[in-house]
Amino acid sequence: MSENKVTIDIGDGAAIPTKKDRGLLSAWRLAFFGAVGSLLYLILFHPDPYLRLIKFLPDGILITFQVTISAIALALVVGLFTGLGRISHNPIINLIASTYVEVVRGIPLLVQLFYIYYALGQFVRVPDMLAAVIAMSFCYGAYMGEVFRAGIESIDRGQREASFSLGFNRAQTMFYVILPQALRTILPPVGNEFIALLKDTSLVSILAVSDLLRRGREFASESFLYFETYTMVAIIYLIITLILSKLVGIMEERMGNHGRR
Amino acid sequence: MAGADPIIRIRNVSKFFGQLRALDNVSLDILSGEKVVIIGPSGSGKSTLLRTINQLETIDAGSIAVDGQDLTDQAADINKIRMELGMVFQSFNLFHHKTVLHNLTLAPIKLKKIAKEDAEKIAIRLLEKVGIAEKRNCYPAQLSGGQQQRVAIARALAMNPKIMLFDEPTSALDPEMIGEVLDVMVNLAKEGMTMVVVTHEMGFAREVGDRVVFMDEGKIIETGSPEHFFQNPEHPRLRKFLEQIL
Repeated sequence: MSENKVTIDIGDGAAIPTKKDRGLLSAWRLAFFGAVGSLLYLILFHPDPYLRLIKFLPDGILITFQVTISAIALALVVGLFTGLGRISHNPIINLIASTYVEVVRGIPLLVQLFYIYYALGQFVRVPDMLAAVIAMSFCYGAYMGEVFRAGIESIDRGQREASFSLGFNRAQTMFYVILPQALRTILPPVGNEFIALLKDTSLVSILAVSDLLRRGREFASESFLYFETYTMVAIIYLIITLILSKLVGIMEERMGNHGRR
Repeated sequence: MAGADPIIRIRNVSKFFGQLRALDNVSLDILSGEKVVIIGPSGSGKSTLLRTINQLETIDAGSIAVDGQDLTDQAADINKIRMELGMVFQSFNLFHHKTVLHNLTLAPIKLKKIAKEDAEKIAIRLLEKVGIAEKRNCYPAQLSGGQQQRVAIARALAMNPKIMLFDEPTSALDPEMIGEVLDVMVNLAKEGMTMVVVTHEMGFAREVGDRVVFMDEGKIIETGSPEHFFQNPEHPRLRKFLEQIL
């Protein structure tokens, strides 16, 4: 009755391990320690070119993180308003939000990036980084909006009624009662989106943003060491996403259940 | 109390759910301090009627006035009126993300702008009254159903309402917990609170009710004192209902 724990499963990020998931956990361990092990092996026993690579790439990792974090922050704001718009009783706001979601979901992210960067770039000059962040958050805002909407709708009707009966209006009810509870429900899918977004930032390497992948390309095109370079890039992405998925899993358990079970 | 203006005045109210006539031309006056118990088979419209009083259900025809304010008036501030109307739900509906104490203090702090310390003082006094102050820092999920419902009553009281609405407050409870909730309600009645109670607890109706209202198929079939009601029920449908339930 008082249970309203709903899990929403959206996203294509790395699987988030939980305590109960022994199988997943060992898969995570295998992947993680495998990746870290290979990384150390390559650096220690083949310092040329891997040590050089590991010194060359971190600038790109930093950019990747910068794009990811800026884009996710912006996408959360866009997503919150989109989600609220999607459940709005105002038909115009509702239509705008729904259309935005439909349009964004119907256009590949790479095309959106090109569009904002090159097509709109003909009219407005936007710095590379900013264009990348805007494009990513424009796209992910729509997905995030769906996550927010699902999270808000998963909250039991009785919560709303109890809040109304105390005298709260719709906005107060949303802010004080519904959203705080919805946030717990949407944490796992938001974590998933975060990881998916981090991986998708590799697309901005096509623009002039020197993220991890682009740094790799630069290194490879100078040294012609394609195999070594992309092995390293892949391992670094893998380690980052695995760490993130672990963090999301831990956060999920912490935020957890407010005394439930 | 004769001649006093009713604190709740329900006039010719009808409500439809699609084709279904949930309320059919219902009129009912409730006086300040009165305890009215609404009974009836499920689907009779008794919960719907209760929920129209604080506009959790809108009405399609008729009018409802609470404390002199017409709810159907466009200018009426429903949120203000709701502050005067405490409501207790069948499924408790405590805020899951707040502790017991904060369930009680949220609305007074945000809506009545009461200082946090004062709101907490009031909350603790109310929790003592419903016998659950020691659980103030628990989350709702850590409490039994009976405890949750007592907290829910205290939460409604924290807004210092003039009227308390109870929508089948014991129907979701295990039998051994019904008593603790009814005790709280009986005490509240003794303090003179105006109460409208939808319930299946006939013992409570008999002990506390000033007036019992029997509803069926969206209509009020019979109204009377509990003595009259349980000893000489007039309407055959009421007699049948009482036979089934007692």
